[in-house]
Amino acid sequence: MGGVDADLVDIKGMPDKSLQEFLRKNAISLSLFEARRVAELIGRNPTITELYIFNTQWSEHSSYKSSRSVLKELLPTQAPNVILGPSEDSGIVELGFIDGERYGVVVSHESHNHPSQVVPYEGAATGVGGDIRDVLCMGAKVIALADPLRFGNPYGKNKNKVKYIANEVINGIAGYGDAVGIPNICGDVYFNDSFDENCLVNVVCLGIVKEKDIIHSYAPKNAEGYDIVIVGKATDNSGFGGAAFASLILDEKERESNRGAVQVPDPFLKNVLIRASYAVFEEARKQGIILGFKDMGAGGIMCSTSELCSSSNFGADIDLSKVNVSMKDLPPYIIANSETQERFTWICPKEFTKTLLKIYNEDFELPSISLGAGAFVIGKVTKQQDYILRHENKVVCNVPIKDVTQGIRYEREKKAAKRNFKEPNLREPSDFNKILLSVLKHPNVASKAKAYKHYDTSVMGNAVIETGYADAGVIKAVDNSSFGIALKTDCNPRYCRIDSYWGAVNAVAESMRNVAAVGAIPSALTDCLNYGNPEKPEAFYDFYEGVRGIADAAKNLHYKGSTYPVPVVSGNVSFYNESSSGKSVDPSPIIACIGILKDYSKAITMQLKKENSNLFLVGERREELGGSVYYEINGEIGSIVPIIDFEKERNMIYAIIDAINAGLILSCHDISDGGLATTISEMILGGDADGEIGAKINLDFTNIRNDKALFSESSGFAFEVEDIHLEKLKALFKFYKINLIQLGKTDKNRLTITKNNKKIIDLPILKLKEAWTSGFVEALE
Amino acid sequence: MRKPNVAVIYFPGNNCEEESLKAVLASGMDGKIVRWNERKGIERYDGFVIPGGWAYEDRIRAGVIAAKDPVFDIVKKEAENGKPVLGICNGAQALVECGMIPGLKKKVEMALAPNKNPFISGYYCTWVFIKVNEKKGRCAFNGFLEKNEIIPIPIAHGEGRFITVDKELINKLIKNQQIIFRYSTKDGKIEDKFPTNPNGAVYNIAAICNKKGNVLAMMPHPERASFIRQLPDIDLKNKSAGKILEMENSAPARNIFYSMKEYTEEEIL
Repeated sequence: MGGVDADLVDIKGMPDKSLQEFLRKNAISLSLFEARRVAELIGRNPTITELYIFNTQWSEHSSYKSSRSVLKELLPTQAPNVILGPSEDSGIVELGFIDGERYGVVVSHESHNHPSQVVPYEGAATGVGGDIRDVLCMGAKVIALADPLRFGNPYGKNKNKVKYIANEVINGIAGYGDAVGIPNICGDVYFNDSFDENCLVNVVCLGIVKEKDIIHSYAPKNAEGYDIVIVGKATDNSGFGGAAFASLILDEKERESNRGAVQVPDPFLKNVLIRASYAVFEEARKQGIILGFKDMGAGGIMCSTSELCSSSNFGADIDLSKVNVSMKDLPPYIIANSETQERFTWICPKEFTKTLLKIYNEDFELPSISLGAGAFVIGKVTKQQDYILRHENKVVCNVPIKDVTQGIRYEREKKAAKRNFKEPNLREPSDFNKILLSVLKHPNVASKAKAYKHYDTSVMGNAVIETGYADAGVIKAVDNSSFGIALKTDCNPRYCRIDSYWGAVNAVAESMRNVAAVGAIPSALTDCLNYGNPEKPEAFYDFYEGVRGIADAAKNLHYKGSTYPVPVVSGNVSFYNESSSGKSVDPSPIIACIGILKDYSKAITMQLKKENSNLFLVGERREELGGSVYYEINGEIGSIVPIIDFEKERNMIYAIIDAINAGLILSCHDISDGGLATTISEMILGGDADGEIGAKINLDFTNIRNDKALFSESSGFAFEVEDIHLEKLKALFKFYKINLIQLGKTDKNRLTITKNNKKIIDLPILKLKEAWTSGFVEALE
Repeated sequence: MRKPNVAVIYFPGNNCEEESLKAVLASGMDGKIVRWNERKGIERYDGFVIPGGWAYEDRIRAGVIAAKDPVFDIVKKEAENGKPVLGICNGAQALVECGMIPGLKKKVEMALAPNKNPFISGYYCTWVFIKVNEKKGRCAFNGFLEKNEIIPIPIAHGEGRFITVDKELINKLIKNQQIIFRYSTKDGKIEDKFPTNPNGAVYNIAAICNKKGNVLAMMPHPERASFIRQLPDIDLKNKSAGKILEMENSAPARNIFYSMKEYTEEEIL
């Protein structure tokens, strides 16, 4: 055990009560047990800097202390197309080979829920910024963003706050993403009162990299003596304790004091940092230099430097006095732990350091871009596996580096909560026109154009299908190749409220259906697991069941052409999503599915293309309306959620992909929120709600009640086919043993739905448009 | 004959430099992204593109600081020699802020004000249609575009509303044939209302050139509408569905870059 020069905190000597008081006063969220465990682990009382280090490293956010064993036990993370599983800042899945080079799609999926609830603009913006860094630091070019959002009830008792947060979050995502210049290609938004006091703001970011050009988040081999270089914004006290804050339950009364834990976004500096980093990548590749590169996120300099060195069994010796700071007299524990945005750490061989510093400080003039910004050498990689921090010639931290990075684990108790959900006994309605319009107008169904048209969806010029035009966004992956990447996020919170397991299964299946609906092969998943307090057995049960659902779906909805799972390559766990009243949010395992198209020109949208073509349905309508929008507009929730039959689901997805890639389908849309009637309405309207082709369909294929047939959210697809392709189409679906149901035909400008030749819905397109384009806009007003 | 060589100038905060360069290259010109602080020798390029983004964080007002960057003195001088300068979005804002557009007096005559529309306040990204308002070849950027031709193109800005306090100025611009593109419906109807006019610009102005015609400030993004692939869900794209080679073909907005190439070959090289 190395010596330190700083004062020690007498953890061992303090009685429980005074220790508790000490921790509270210093805003340290370690439990008594954990604080004492620190002293035990390092074999002496810690310095205050060391104590703050463990405070961050043992937070739920950084250590995954409650979740790690469950994730490890259940999730399938390996498959032949995985280049890098969930072990570093991002996962990487194979895109394919181009000119003999294997390319990977880099993906990271993060949450920024608590910061967004406290200061929504900055919280959402820094969420985007952090996720971009995770992808960039793999040596990748950043190419797309997506934002799944969950807000409270805009018509409920907390409506003013909810609307304020929703608008500010959308502005924050726009303010950051638009300025750095990365297109936002998809997302989803749900409102319900479980999110009244705790919104969910997730971010998915994609990058592209050649396998041989990947830069890892660990020090390279033989890195002893390499420089530790930090680059970016000058360190301040913003976000100090952010990781610990992410692991706390939000208390309305402490809102003000929590503000300081939220970081300050600087997309302008990031814009330049990204470009300068690309220049470093290029130069290092040219010279054959191997580097380590890591985002500075939770835990700041401390977390980033210790993990880079520890992962390769090195130590680090760092002088915090060499850190570029923008505030005077910052104590060492703040410099070490602050979560100031827009920073990275490099592990750099000495011979390359000069080049690296020149690119950032001179070529891209970081110091003139933002006051105090730049790249600075702050320490060295050491053979001795200790983590040493110095400040003004004093050693303020000196502990075995593995102690810093190994974390802490808990086995949490789980217990199923009592769920008293019942199926409602609704009378069959008489006016289906009215019901359909209410469903289309529901903010969870209505067009989200008011959000995504505030985002830059076409920057970089790589768009193939922009947000809103189809079930998934599609971009061209690489110049001079035909590969396309599709992306979509999903999770219906009401399904999860009723049934945590099936809710998660549905989230996975729906995300896969969405990328399949544009013709892409579901190739990898990410999961951002947003749950309540893991110390409560009921919340932990929901978490466990959610992960089990994801795992079962991923394993059983095989990667097309194999019996391998669609692997989970990246993810995040966000616990403590509950308010001071103790009510946790609806379990929300938000899934992103990455789909790959060998030929992006095959990708199709949801909008009907031709009059008098054929409309088909796959996926029988079943009486499983639990959590449906139809029940919600009736003030009910129900108890029977859609159940996924894995074999059928798989074959349905494969058949759709094959049919689209064979050019047999003109337009396609999956069936989800709002059921079949909504799906057909959205196909009529199209992304810009300017469609002019209607549809005439019948429900004669089913015996279930009309309201249930129209609005059941059982999984399935509706799609449009021309006469000339019917024969091939039928053969294809027969091969996959999928029952093809002819719904009717596309038509002139109306939606007509009949049952046994009796009209049950008859609406002009204009009416559909009014409802669908107004619901979300009004919710935000 | 050698190809025209174009500098796409990156000011810190710009973010459309790469796709702008791709559109330049796709039209058959050579080009390079040049950083703001690499201005030495920049006068040797045959033409300039000032791309979109948020140069210098749009501090004070969009485009103001970039317009004061020393590199702009060189661009101005080269423009006086007839070299083509295309300012897109943030680049257009900078051209207006430095007085090159409309360029009738030696001062700033117009501004690009915050969008006015009833749907989204602030930044707004969507597809629109613009119509060629002057005869073919009026400026360096419409040599390949017939008068009244309609172009699908995206906008992506928060401050794109051309305005002026001098009421006579618009008449002068009309008389001088400087208003090159105007927002229209897909059938070419000019309506001064949302969504046809997406930002409330006076006279539906989407792009203005200088009197000479070698400098163009345009708010919509031609580099994002230069390939069939980039187009939204419209017939022009859907008829190429499934044909990968057609997807990389030229979309109507690329004619702006083809025009720039032809102009440069004839007037500069």
